[in-house]
Amino acid sequence: MSRARVTVRLTVNGRAYVREVEPRYLLADFLRHELGLTGTHIGCEHGVCGACTVLIDGKTGRSCLQFAAALDGASITTVEGIAGEGPLHPVQEAFHEAHALQCGYCTPGFLMTTIEFLAANPDPTRDQIRQALTNNMCRCTGYLNIIEAVEDAARRLRAQEGGA
Amino acid sequence: MREIEDFTLIGKTILRREDSYLLRGKAQFLDDLPEPRGLIHLAFVLSPHASAEILAIDTAAARALPGVIDVLTGEDLAADVPPYAPVIELAGYRGVARPVVARGRVRHVGEYVAVILAESPYAAQDALDLVGVEYEPLPAVATIADGLAPGAPVVHEALGDNVIFRTRFATEGFEARFAAGEVVLEEEFSLGRVTGVMIEPRGCMAWPDPIATGITLWTSTQIPHIVRTAIAEHLGMAEANLRVVTPAVGGGFGTKCHLYPDEILVVALARRYGRAVKWVQDRREDLLTNVHAREHVLRLRVAVGRDGVIAAADLDVRTNCGAYPNHPFSPTLEATAAVRMMPGPYRIRAYRYEAASVLTHTAPTGAYRGTGQPSAFLAIEGMMDRIGRRLGLDPAEVRRRNVVRPEDFPYVNVVGVRYDTGSYLPSLERGLEMIGYDAFRRAQPADRLVDGRYRGIGICNYTEVSGTGAPGWRVRGFARMPGFDSSRVVVEPDGRVAVYVSQADAGQGHFTTFAQIAADRLGVAWEDVTVIEGDTAKTPYGTGTFASRGSVVGGGSVIRGSAKVGEKIRRIAGYMLGCEPSRLALGGGRVFDRDDPGRGLTLREVAETAYSMNNLPLPQGEEHGLEATDYYDPPMVTMANGTHVVEVAVDPDDGRVEILRYAVVHDCGRVINPKIVAGQVHGATVQGIGEALMEEIVYDGGGQHLNASLLDYLIPTAMDAPDLALGHIETPSIDTVAGIKGAAEGGLTGAVPAIANAVGDALAGLGVSITRVPLRPSTIVGLIAAARAARAGAA
Ligand code: FES
Ligand code: FES
Repeated sequence: MSRARVTVRLTVNGRAYVREVEPRYLLADFLRHELGLTGTHIGCEHGVCGACTVLIDGKTGRSCLQFAAALDGASITTVEGIAGEGPLHPVQEAFHEAHALQCGYCTPGFLMTTIEFLAANPDPTRDQIRQALTNNMCRCTGYLNIIEAVEDAARRLRAQEGGA
Repeated sequence: MREIEDFTLIGKTILRREDSYLLRGKAQFLDDLPEPRGLIHLAFVLSPHASAEILAIDTAAARALPGVIDVLTGEDLAADVPPYAPVIELAGYRGVARPVVARGRVRHVGEYVAVILAESPYAAQDALDLVGVEYEPLPAVATIADGLAPGAPVVHEALGDNVIFRTRFATEGFEARFAAGEVVLEEEFSLGRVTGVMIEPRGCMAWPDPIATGITLWTSTQIPHIVRTAIAEHLGMAEANLRVVTPAVGGGFGTKCHLYPDEILVVALARRYGRAVKWVQDRREDLLTNVHAREHVLRLRVAVGRDGVIAAADLDVRTNCGAYPNHPFSPTLEATAAVRMMPGPYRIRAYRYEAASVLTHTAPTGAYRGTGQPSAFLAIEGMMDRIGRRLGLDPAEVRRRNVVRPEDFPYVNVVGVRYDTGSYLPSLERGLEMIGYDAFRRAQPADRLVDGRYRGIGICNYTEVSGTGAPGWRVRGFARMPGFDSSRVVVEPDGRVAVYVSQADAGQGHFTTFAQIAADRLGVAWEDVTVIEGDTAKTPYGTGTFASRGSVVGGGSVIRGSAKVGEKIRRIAGYMLGCEPSRLALGGGRVFDRDDPGRGLTLREVAETAYSMNNLPLPQGEEHGLEATDYYDPPMVTMANGTHVVEVAVDPDDGRVEILRYAVVHDCGRVINPKIVAGQVHGATVQGIGEALMEEIVYDGGGQHLNASLLDYLIPTAMDAPDLALGHIETPSIDTVAGIKGAAEGGLTGAVPAIANAVGDALAGLGVSITRVPLRPSTIVGLIAAARAARAGAA
């Protein structure tokens, strides 16, 4: 139960932060309570629900299972970093139009999973989408509108690619 | 007011405004709120025993830990935090109180034994391990059967036995009517124990007001006004000195419509310490201590004519209450719901029931989406299939012969519940048609086997109690359930509109739909309406958001409130324009002469007069301001309805059930926002799939909770959510404002019986009888093996 603190350097949503934290301090707590980025939610703290999903060096990870100190030097993207203050990201837009969120507590995690998934699978089948979404739990929507949203987001991103 | 015909926005899909902050991670859920200075963080020591005497609690080591402010036991709190109990006025109910923190005795695993107060959540967690509690374990009961067994350990000695509630009912001449039936069928159905599993667990924070004597309680609840009244009364505070606010709430499903001990405690401690006090639940605590639901056993006996028509029904329901009555409903909630709802869409005129709730050494049970209805329909819909099999009738035909028919409306059912309108038969026919029922039956092989898997179809017709008003709560003994909800509709000086509603959103989209309603009724732009709710200081009193009441009661009140303000707008505008108010209409942000639309005023111009911002006088006798408050107490209940038809394939080798096709027909009367309604149907149906196929809280015989993690308590993922074909029928209520009926629970209520029946149909040829959910693969493999063994034995 050592109270010694360690220095952690993390780049979060493009900004560099240096903080002194306990070695056992979770990444989720670091983001939420040290940096005030409370969009990353905690639903289970045991790695199952996916509400805490963030991108760690571009890959999805459970921020409830990782120590901030162990990620020294990493680059993190949270829901706040997807669109910043600008217009919604195509994945966010697709979620909005498909009514893919109700309480919205699970949503930041789903957005992260979807962004990573569509980057690797620009034209997925519904089955592939279902597979990818098992990373995250939602108790409100019954998933169907989330699946729609991911299909629609894929179309939007492809159109954007094509147009660029 | 149901005859309104000129809707402009009601009935249209409008995309939700709350998405804009939720999608950016900017919503403020309980644990996202800015933390006040000097905040005290709580953590609870939980009982590891189902039943034990607390011999001693040693808090010294925990207290000595840096960052720990205090450690309190039930004894330390006895003086100012007494046990609490729901107020139930119903014959057959014997109340017992629940301690906020246990004193001397624990009665279920997870019961609060001590509370840590610390400067940080990490310090509080560290301290938990340092509290030494000495227990003397005592015998425990976990199941209904064990709780009822002669000589069973008694959960609350004062009651003498474990039956906390018992009620009976019979129609006149029941015995004779039953005896007149030609065939008698009997079956016992049961449902496992489940729970809400909102992705946001609960949490609360009490914050003493720095300049007044009051306390603000932020809590993740569905019922802020009920929570305020109960806590203020319990702690002897003036109600005006407690303000209850709900931040964004990450799902409720009924689990969050109870008053929990921690909510009382944070207020009591904030008062004692003069500091803000916060507690955030973790998932293990959620699964151990939040109310569970179901764990019902229903024995249904029916007497039937050879034509399949039910002559009489006799239902015996037992529910597992857990160790304490939940607040505010008590265990009478599920018991009375199950017996009162069982007749459902069917013309059952001779009925007898008995219901009992049994105390056990398990977590308290309470409200959860569907409340009693999934159980009731598992029984009656399961019976419909059995009648068909016994009499050689198609199960759909049995339902046709029993259902309340279109010409029967308005219909009063056998326990006195009025069904004003409904589409029971059309809904059934539509569901059958959507799934291609007749073709399926023609093609279904006698042994049901297709490509190595057994195929079957299950049907569930359901009625859905919604929008319960005061009479509906009173008749079931809920003395402290207001029944009404309210709104205050204000045209502000700038001509824009604010709507304050007594409810509390937990994801249903109230900020969008209530704005839609007010904009529709006042003829203003949707963007110009702001909705405020979930705050007892800002909104008028009301019941809250649960039991499918948001749209019926909250929505109804906003319509009525808007109409009242509309009248005042017309009176003032008529005076300003020098014309009869009755000539005036509202639209486009203006009030204008129906016959001469160019002649009119903007709402802002009217508001300026109402708020004395110009030199124009008000009509004689008119008060300033431009607002109205409405308290809407709807009818006893409003019945929505629908039909689920589902086709499954059951793999006999691994016991897995695959849902192949799923049709849902739903009728919730007047729809406000179709996309939001569809979302409710999807979400509830998939929760029902979870309850039917995978979810169950498991206790061992000694009351030890065996699956308090999401690895072990399975809820559906995207892989478990089949595509749903939605059929929509709209039969407006003739009793409620604008004909609205509720929509949140039918999906779950329909799914559980439909899936059970589909599996039952698939396995009927094997002699398997499906009587219990969840139907997990291991259960199905076991049932098939047992049926085969029985056949082999008989052969
Ligand atoms: S909170 Fe991290 S997976 Fe649930
Ligand atoms: S929207 Fe509520 S949990 Fe997903």
